[in-house]
Formats: sequence, structure tokens, C-alpha cells
Amino acid sequence: MMILERIGTYFQMVFHLAADPLNILILLSSVMLGIMFGAMPGLTSTLGVALLTALTYGMDTPTAMLCLLAIYVGGTYGGSYASILINIPGTAASAATALDGYPLACKGEGGRAIGLTTTASAIGTIISMLFLVSISPLISFFALQFTSFEFFLLAFFGILISGTLTSPDLVIKGWIAGFLGLFMACVGRDLLQFYPRFTFGIPELDSGIEVVPVLIGAFGIPQIIQVLKDRFQIGETQKFQRILPEFGTIVRNIPRIIRSALIGVGIGSVPGIGEDIAAWVSYGTAKNTSKHPERFGKGEITAVLSTEVANNACVGGAMIPLLNLGIPGSPPAAMLLGALMLHGVTPGPMITFEHPTFIMEVAAILLLASLSMWVVGMLLAKQVVKVLRIPVQLFMPIIGILCIIGSYALGINIWNLYLMLPVGIISYFLVEMGYPIAPLVIGVILGPMADENLRRALMVSQGSFLPVFTRPVSLVLFLVIVWTVVSQFPAYRQFKNKLMDKVFRRKSCEADFDSDAPEEG
Amino acid sequence: MLEKEKLRKADVYSGIIIFLFGAWIVWQASKMPMKDSWGGVQNVWFVSPALFPLFVGGMIMLLGLLLVRTALKTIGLKAFGNTLQWLFSKELFQFLNSMSNLRFYAIATLFLALVYLYIPRIDFFLSAILFLNVFILMFYFDEAELLKKLFFFYLAGTVFFIIYFAARIDGWLSQAFPFAKDILALVFLLAYCVYAWRLIRHSPPLRRKYRTGLIVAFVAPLLVGSIFKYFLLVPMPAEGLVVALLDAIWYFEF
Repeated sequence: MMILERIGTYFQMVFHLAADPLNILILLSSVMLGIMFGAMPGLTSTLGVALLTALTYGMDTPTAMLCLLAIYVGGTYGGSYASILINIPGTAASAATALDGYPLACKGEGGRAIGLTTTASAIGTIISMLFLVSISPLISFFALQFTSFEFFLLAFFGILISGTLTSPDLVIKGWIAGFLGLFMACVGRDLLQFYPRFTFGIPELDSGIEVVPVLIGAFGIPQIIQVLKDRFQIGETQKFQRILPEFGTIVRNIPRIIRSALIGVGIGSVPGIGEDIAAWVSYGTAKNTSKHPERFGKGEITAVLSTEVANNACVGGAMIPLLNLGIPGSPPAAMLLGALMLHGVTPGPMITFEHPTFIMEVAAILLLASLSMWVVGMLLAKQVVKVLRIPVQLFMPIIGILCIIGSYALGINIWNLYLMLPVGIISYFLVEMGYPIAPLVIGVILGPMADENLRRALMVSQGSFLPVFTRPVSLVLFLVIVWTVVSQFPAYRQFKNKLMDKVFRRKSCEADFDSDAPEEG
Repeated sequence: MLEKEKLRKADVYSGIIIFLFGAWIVWQASKMPMKDSWGGVQNVWFVSPALFPLFVGGMIMLLGLLLVRTALKTIGLKAFGNTLQWLFSKELFQFLNSMSNLRFYAIATLFLALVYLYIPRIDFFLSAILFLNVFILMFYFDEAELLKKLFFFYLAGTVFFIIYFAARIDGWLSQAFPFAKDILALVFLLAYCVYAWRLIRHSPPLRRKYRTGLIVAFVAPLLVGSIFKYFLLVPMPAEGLVVALLDAIWYFEF
């Protein structure tokens, strides 16, 4: 009965949102803008969400979410245009799509590939939305049992796992980035005693470092410097004819689509890991389970389907920890968290009490955004592709101005600009030296949660760490954290390999012995 | 990202910097109240505001050390010695003078000047137009020699403005002429446009790029700035000549 009631409420919300022509206009234009951001190499959906956050400041929360989620969904999908047509991924999430999308475009099947990726992306988002609606109450209920120790360990785990999985070079660098983010979160008056930490008598630092300017600086400025410093050039766009949704191909590939969506949702719900990893894992799985792995990389349609379903399914997946635990599942979700806080919504276990219909609302927006994306993709792809002809030297400086006015407009504070630029330049050097940016940003976001909960937990236990080992959830989180750290050291790997060797040798010896043994009787 | 071997060499230095940074955090945190009273409340170590920064600083120190150890293990002490020699050789100067680094200096200077010099003092629209005009023309022509000349021209203008504001010339000039600094910025913008035109006037493809660049540089800030100023009602960081003009048009103040 309760489930039926929830489904009823959900569809009521969908119709309520869709009934307002202004909402539809905002949806379509935001999706279009998102697709453009995703399609232009050098721009990402994270940057799109970051820059648009400033514009949504004056809107009410549902309209702002409509705008930002539509950009997120459109941006994740839009990356496939550049991947398929010019072999340069528009976003990291669509890098795997380029492997088979571009060969398809070279064969004259660009329209078919775009049609399929459009439908696949929409299906991916819708499946992930179903997971968001069905899993959220469970996670929320479970999270309500958490105490301060669990929240501290959860925040710490989020930073560590994000550092481990997003580091393009050594894992240590990912962790360093995470801790640098945690340090930035320490700046300002502490939440329990109001003691000024690392403020150096500067009153503007008393309230701490604003998250949104840090996010804009960390994602926007390095992107601008990299693209212009390395003289990035957009290649010639492949021509394509009609765009067809090809429902027949979709129906034939339903098991693959479901598998890829599950991969996307699963990876999206792990803190800090984005659509790019989901797409690569899905590509790898599709290749490993294919009857014709030799066709991969030469224009295999199932490869394009797998990557696009997975990266868009990641959107809904990333919303699960974001809304229920307050931990962003991907970099654009981190940006969304900043935007939500600006609008007075604090995601976490209490969201179901403070804003009972909010998760449903997000799910309804995701459904409408995926449908809008499909419509825009099918009807306007040819027009959108024209943005690929704009030289990067023209639009990157404009992005710079948007970063600046966006950071300033949030709080109408010039101090945000003074902060955003150094963060951006330092982030550029960090990126150049192989440090990932996502853990840094997640550190800034989760820092206050980790700090406050660590001290509150110790206050309750009178300085004892024993509850970490006596509370089951804490113990599991603690063991996972220890394993995440220890598993990165060569000594652990050597030990594991030796152990595996011993076990398997013994097993094979036993098998040999069994086969050599004379049959009884 | 750098190549693997270069990356490991850079890791030694970045690891040392990170270790020192962690040590600084720990040092600063050690000044915070641990067991003494703050705001009339007697502290205990586990509620102290120093607890979390100490943990973070300690971890940063440890990870910095681990990074240095890993990098040194990979490249060996000899290779590290070579990088030390490189730091005091002519090659470092050549590296710093490379075209790719010049592009970085140009971008960094443009952003630094915009954020710390122009935006707080000069009309936002003028600052943004100047920034976009310089930025687009410098990079859109896509010629190293032109970029160098345009960058040094811009640098000279920026140095002039630094002296202008540091010597407080603006104070008494503004009393004599309204919008003095904005007019100076406008003159600088026009001078830059003329200089760029003189450099490219003999090349038709560059002339076409010049026109496109100019249009984008003027239209984009007016569009974006107007949305923020008149639709989202965000007051600009500094409002001067152009804002006064736009206000007159927007509110019919004729």
C-alpha cells in the first residue's frame, strides 16, 4: 500500500512539473546547454553545473534543481557527440565511447551511433532513477542508526576511496589531495568552540572557505590553462545523415543495457568516483562477455551502448549517497551538493524528515530530464554539433569570465574571487603533477562533517576510541578503511600473491594426487 | 600531466613541499588550545579545535614523506642529483623561457591582473572586455611571435596601472575628472586594439580572426554582465563608466 502511495506521489510530481510550460522550457534549454557543455572538448558537466549554480541562486529550490540536474544529465550525454564525430571525448565520461563511436562515424554510421547513444543514455538515466527511488528509503533508514563515529568514518572512507580510485598516478597522491581538501575545510571558526583556525586575523576567513568558489576554481581554471597552454585543436567533424533511435537494436540488447546500468548505478554510488570509471568498467565487461571481442575498437555498436548506458546511469547512482548520506557520488554531484546547500537543503539522513518529498522530486526531475535529453538529442543533434566548430580560443576566455562572475555572484563577495584564483592555479599544478582534483573537492565538502563528528563522538565516549570496535557498522567501516589503505602497499600484494600461490598450489597438488590415485575397487 | 620519469623527479620536490606544509599545519595547530580554557570553557584534548588539524597535518606529513620515498626509490639518488644540477643550469632558464610556459605566464597574468587589480577598481564591464579582448586576440591568432608581443604590451599597461594605484594617483585624479580610472582603462583597451591591428593588418586570415575576436570580446561581457546585473540583480564588484551608461539606458535616466 505504501509503495503504491509512493508511486502515486511520484507520478503526481512528474505531472505537476511537466504541466508548467516554464518548467518544460527550462528543462529543454538546460539540457541543450548541458549537451553543449558536454560536447565541447575542454568543458565538462561539472563545470556546467558549477557555472550555472550562480544563475540559479535567485530561483526557488525545485526550479534550481530542474536546471542543474538537466545540465548534469545533458552534459554527461553530450560528451558522446565529440567522441563519435571527432574522436576527441567531450568529457572524460565519454572517452570509452570514442573507441567504437568514431570508427562507426568513419563508416558513415555516425547518425546511427548518435541515435543509439541518445536512447541508451536516456534508458541509463531512467534505470538509475528507479534505483534512486527504491534504494533511498532503505539507505536513509539505515543511515538513521549511524552515530558520530560512523559519520566520521564514512566521511574518511569517502575521501580515501575517492583518492584511491581517481588518482591517475600514485594512490598516495589521491590521498594527499583528499587531506589538502580536509585542511581547507579546517580554515575558519571551528563549529564546536568557535575558535578561529588558520584565519590569521582576516575576518573574511572566519566563516571558512566557501565551497562553490573552490569548486569553480578547482575545476574551471586548470581546464582553461591546460586547453590553451597545450594549444588544443578540435579536429574535423565527421558528417552524418539521419538520426534514428533504432528501438530494434535496443530491444535486442536489453540484457547488456541492464548490466551496464547496474554497473553505472553501483559505481556512481561509491563516493567521488565519476561517470568515466563507470563507462570504462562497463566497456571492459561488455568486451569480456562478448562473443566477438575482436570487433571491439572497430565500431562495435554494443560497446557504444554499454558505455553510454553506464555513464548516464551513474547520474542517478551518484544521487543515492548524495541525498541520503550527504556524500557526493561524483564530481558533478559534489557541485550539486554545494548548490543544494545554497538553497537551504542539507542532504543527509534527515532529508526525509526535513524535506519529505525531495528525493521523489529529484527522481521526477531525472525522468523528465532524460526524456528532454532524448527529444533534444533526436531533433536538434545536427544543430548542437555546430558548437564543435567554435575554436577553443574563443570560448575558453568566456568560460574564464563565467568562472569569475559565478564565484563573485554567490554571496556577492569579492573575497570569493581572491580565493577562487589561487585554488585554481594550485589545482592546475596539482593536475600537472598527477594529483586528482575530485578528492580535494570532496575533502573540502566532507571536512566539516568529519571534524565535527570525530570530536562529538569522542565527547560522548569521553575520549575513548573503543566504540569503533564495539559498534558493528563502525567496525565494518574501520576494517574497510584499513583494507583500502593496506591493499595499496606492495608488501600486502606480495603477501596476497604468496598466499594465493600456496592455496592454489595445494589445490592443484591435491587435484594431481586425486587424478594419480588408483581407483578403488 | 608530465611523463612518468619527469613525474617521479617532480614528486621528490612536491613531496618535500607537502611534508613541509603538513609540518606547518601541525605547528599552527599546536598553538590552538588543547587543555587550557577558551571562552570560559576548560578544554579537554578530544574537544580541542586542534584535534582535527593535528590529525590532518600529521597525515599530510606522513604522505609527503611516503611520496618522497617512493619517488627516490624509483629514480634513484643519482637521478635526483642530476635534477639538482639541472636546477642550477642554463637548461632551467631555457625551460622557463619555452613557448608553452610563456602561454602559461600569459594566462596566469591575465587572471591575476583581472582578479586582483582590475575587477576591484575598474568598472566590471570594462575589466571584462579588456580581459576578453587581450585573451582572445593573444591566443586566437595562434602565432608565437604575436602572442609574445601582445603579452608584453599588456604587461606594460598592467604595470602602469599597478603604479597608478600604488602611488595613489587615482585619488587626486578622480577628484578632478569623474571616472578617471575607467577612462584610462578605455584608453588602454583602445591602444591594445590599435597595436594588435598594426601587427596583423597585412594578413587577411588574421584580420578576419581580429574582427571575430573583437565582436566576441565586446558582446559576451555585455550579455553575461547584463544578465547578472539587471535580471539577477547582482551589483557588480566595481561600477563605473559603463554601468552608469547602462543604468541610464535600462532605467531611462535621460
